[in-house]
Amino acid sequence: MADGSRRKQQVVVLGGGTAGWMAAAALVRLLPHAADVHVVESAEIGIVGVGEATLPHLRAFVQMLGLDEAEFMRATHATFKLGIDFRDFGRIGDSYLHPFGSFGTELNGVRFHHYWRRMLAAGRDDDLFAYSIANVMAARNRFAPPSADTNSLLSTYSYAYQFDATLFGPYLRTYAEARGAARTEGRVVDVELDGESGDVAALKMESGERIEGDLFVDCSGFRSLLLGRTLGAAWEDWSHWLPCDRAVALPCTPPPGPIEPYTRATAMKAGWRWRIPLQHRVGNGYVYSSAHISDEEAADAIVAAIESEAMAEPRVLRFRAGRRRQSWVRNVVGVGLASGFLEPLESTSIYLAQGAITQLIELFPTGRIAEIDRAEFNRMVDLEYDRIRDFLILHYHATTRDDSSFWNHVRTMEVPESLREKIELWRQAGRVSSYSQGLFLEPSWIAVYVGQGIIPRGWDQRADAFDAPSLAGAMDRLRSKVADAVGTMPAHADFIRRRNAAIEMDR
Amino acid sequence: MAAGSDRAIRRITIVGGGIVGLSAATAFARALPGVRVELVDTAPDPGALCDRLPGTLPTANRFHAALGVDEIDLVRRGIATHRLGLRFESWSVAGKPWHFVHGETGFSLGAASFHDLWLLARQAKGALPYDSYAPAAALAKAGKFVHPESRPNTLLSTFLYGLRLDPEGYGEHLRRSAVAAGVILASGAVHAIERREDGGVAALLLADRRVEGDLYIDCAGPAAPLASAMGKGFDDWSAYLPCDRVVLTAERGSGTLSTAETVTALASGWRWSAPLREGQLAGFSFAAGTGVPSGAEGEPVAIRPGRRPEPWIRNVLALGDAACTVDPLHWTGLHLAHSAVLRALELLPGRDCHPLELREYNRRTALETDRVRDFLALHYLRSGRRAGAFWRALVDRPLPDSLAWTIEQFKARGRIPFHEEETFDKAAWAAALIGLGIVPRHVNPAAAAASATETVAALASLSEQIEALPRRLPSYAEYLVRMTSLPASSPTLV
Repeated sequence: MADGSRRKQQVVVLGGGTAGWMAAAALVRLLPHAADVHVVESAEIGIVGVGEATLPHLRAFVQMLGLDEAEFMRATHATFKLGIDFRDFGRIGDSYLHPFGSFGTELNGVRFHHYWRRMLAAGRDDDLFAYSIANVMAARNRFAPPSADTNSLLSTYSYAYQFDATLFGPYLRTYAEARGAARTEGRVVDVELDGESGDVAALKMESGERIEGDLFVDCSGFRSLLLGRTLGAAWEDWSHWLPCDRAVALPCTPPPGPIEPYTRATAMKAGWRWRIPLQHRVGNGYVYSSAHISDEEAADAIVAAIESEAMAEPRVLRFRAGRRRQSWVRNVVGVGLASGFLEPLESTSIYLAQGAITQLIELFPTGRIAEIDRAEFNRMVDLEYDRIRDFLILHYHATTRDDSSFWNHVRTMEVPESLREKIELWRQAGRVSSYSQGLFLEPSWIAVYVGQGIIPRGWDQRADAFDAPSLAGAMDRLRSKVADAVGTMPAHADFIRRRNAAIEMDR
Repeated sequence: MAAGSDRAIRRITIVGGGIVGLSAATAFARALPGVRVELVDTAPDPGALCDRLPGTLPTANRFHAALGVDEIDLVRRGIATHRLGLRFESWSVAGKPWHFVHGETGFSLGAASFHDLWLLARQAKGALPYDSYAPAAALAKAGKFVHPESRPNTLLSTFLYGLRLDPEGYGEHLRRSAVAAGVILASGAVHAIERREDGGVAALLLADRRVEGDLYIDCAGPAAPLASAMGKGFDDWSAYLPCDRVVLTAERGSGTLSTAETVTALASGWRWSAPLREGQLAGFSFAAGTGVPSGAEGEPVAIRPGRRPEPWIRNVLALGDAACTVDPLHWTGLHLAHSAVLRALELLPGRDCHPLELREYNRRTALETDRVRDFLALHYLRSGRRAGAFWRALVDRPLPDSLAWTIEQFKARGRIPFHEEETFDKAAWAAALIGLGIVPRHVNPAAAAASATETVAALASLSEQIEALPRRLPSYAEYLVRMTSLPASSPTLV
């Protein structure tokens, strides 16, 4: 076999946080014949590890690794996530769920929300979200896995995990080490470049050890030691659109009552606050703009907001919205925060790391790293970032809030032209600018537009093809079908408890 | 009928009585029951290839469903035969014939697509030509056809098919469908266009009357009287698609039914033959500058491959050859027209034709047409063929950037870069690239985990099964008889 006989690539992963161990686990799983993986991490450098909420794509990653989901969820104290409950964003008192799933079902090739909009004009005062099965499940704290039968209403939603991110990395470390990943603990004191090519040649450790590699995966977090500091990859700053630059995190004990199968994001005076229920605790944090509120005030606000006993001292994190213009430079691939940062409003951090890892594997060098590998990788990463950026900005901009300088700023700021056009296109007749590759497809945009009060003027004219009474009848039936289906599902907490018990039994 | 929103379009006026105009009129009338759809039934322009060469890709089946056009009905009337793909002759360096068929070739395994596995087996000297692993190619070689099975994971479940249509009969059929859908047919020609203040169309003046509309659709072929009044811009593709002349020849009488048209590269251009139920459609495609192929008798039709940069401007939408002209290879012209009709319905703007709504339509349409251009250009600019003036003139032509990128990525590792609005999926691109002799240098590392020995064995077993396949199937003629003796609307037979 000609290709298999080639020397394996020596891959050095710098950083043992979530991104680093995800990269290592994926590489040992999918490229055992093509890569030797060496993770370099330092116990002295903490990991960010508050990214507790994820997106449904992570399920594909868990499956790709061949993990047992129930086992994995138990080990990371995970809960199911059906979406994000946004409160007070469009207006104080508003609440809507961005569900992982679609609204209603298509009729004659026309998306459901057009029928909803038409009937709204005909005087049917109706909640679009009542046709989202994920939303109804979330509202009633129910959970059951979706159906694989694509004709079933129960296939129209998906789910993600809410987990303890500080346990996810170590879980993957065990996995990766068992499959041959090497690990070195220690501090990197210098990065050695190849005099001729300018590639990174080796990491020099405090211990004196020198770790060589062909390919370096920079998972060093915000420091971006290789991609940013060493190779000087240019930074594109987005903080004028996404001004939140700090977060203060404060977990608390689980309050009595049900475990919610969703994350909550509540708009605050100078940003927003997350609430993520796990099996053993509730993660909380206030993401804020330091230009609009002091650290002390933000910490006081999160202390006041938590509903049970704090499990730690408030911990402040600093960041900046933006990205490296190129994530793969020379022989360094930035994965995770080392390549860019978008605030956690839509839980995109782990997704972006996963996306970069997927592309790295698909474009893994076949010999010497070629420019076409890098260019294609960077092209694919580009496809993701701008859209996610626009989607995040929409949450701040689509508001009538004028109760603080922060909200006045984001409400009135100039948004990217690409977003301005998307909003205007939606306003005309409920169309979402179409793309099929990437994150946040049509239902996500619909949720935020409608949830934050942007109702289109018109609708797809084909929705006029049915008479109003029969349409109303069909919509009534769909609504009850959704409600009935959810009614038979178990409570989210019970579902988790039963699965954990089954694991115990097996032992 | 509800009143609809106050922005709704109430009248649509279409110009062009060919296949594209009739299809568009029927589709709009059926989807928008409250809208008055009028068709100015002008005679088709000889240069409108979409109207004259109704070969379809598998996507037409969905379009026909939207039109209420029944496949069995078309077959029973002798209008349609089935097509699985194309048989290429003398087209590549090696010159061996090969089949391009619609749908999947082979099977995938984890992260590896079939072409990765084929390459792995090929490096181990254990692979047959690529089309040996496509069940539809085996059917095409044997001149057979059956409908794909709906049961998943069987040999006969992974291919797709299109239709080859008799232009005259199909046109008549569509005309009946249009009338049944409530389309108003107005005979005559457009004498003058009355413009609005903003430049849009206010009315069309026919010989005896004035026709108004909220939206005008130009299906009148490349001359595009309405669309060219909106803008003269044209993206010329002649550097990439060299054929600027087409000669059509039709022969009556009974030919041998086949389920893949043969396209043969000639010293100057290429020739196709497409047998119908009675007779066959044939033709030549070539460049005036490099000579007329022998046998290309008849008046050549001049074509200009390219597209309007914005097919929808103000209240005028251009469809078919009025929007985009491609030569007949792979029959993409009608596919693009169908796709544009469905997209126009999906994105139908309000009466004001808001520029942002049109822009979304134009953006997506451009993405789609440019990738079809790339796919066709691949066959000319990277055929590997040097014999003949036509082909030699193409040797040093630059590629469109997006095509160059696809070829480079494929050569490096078998990757087909992702594009939005792609007509030909990754399996189709891989089949065409490999068929033309472009083979990746390396197996993608993500796919190379598969064992070469096991892959070779799996491929050998697959090709054996495929080879045996046609023997247990009826001849195409028999199949057609069986099919047409069934009641309409039951296209799954096997």
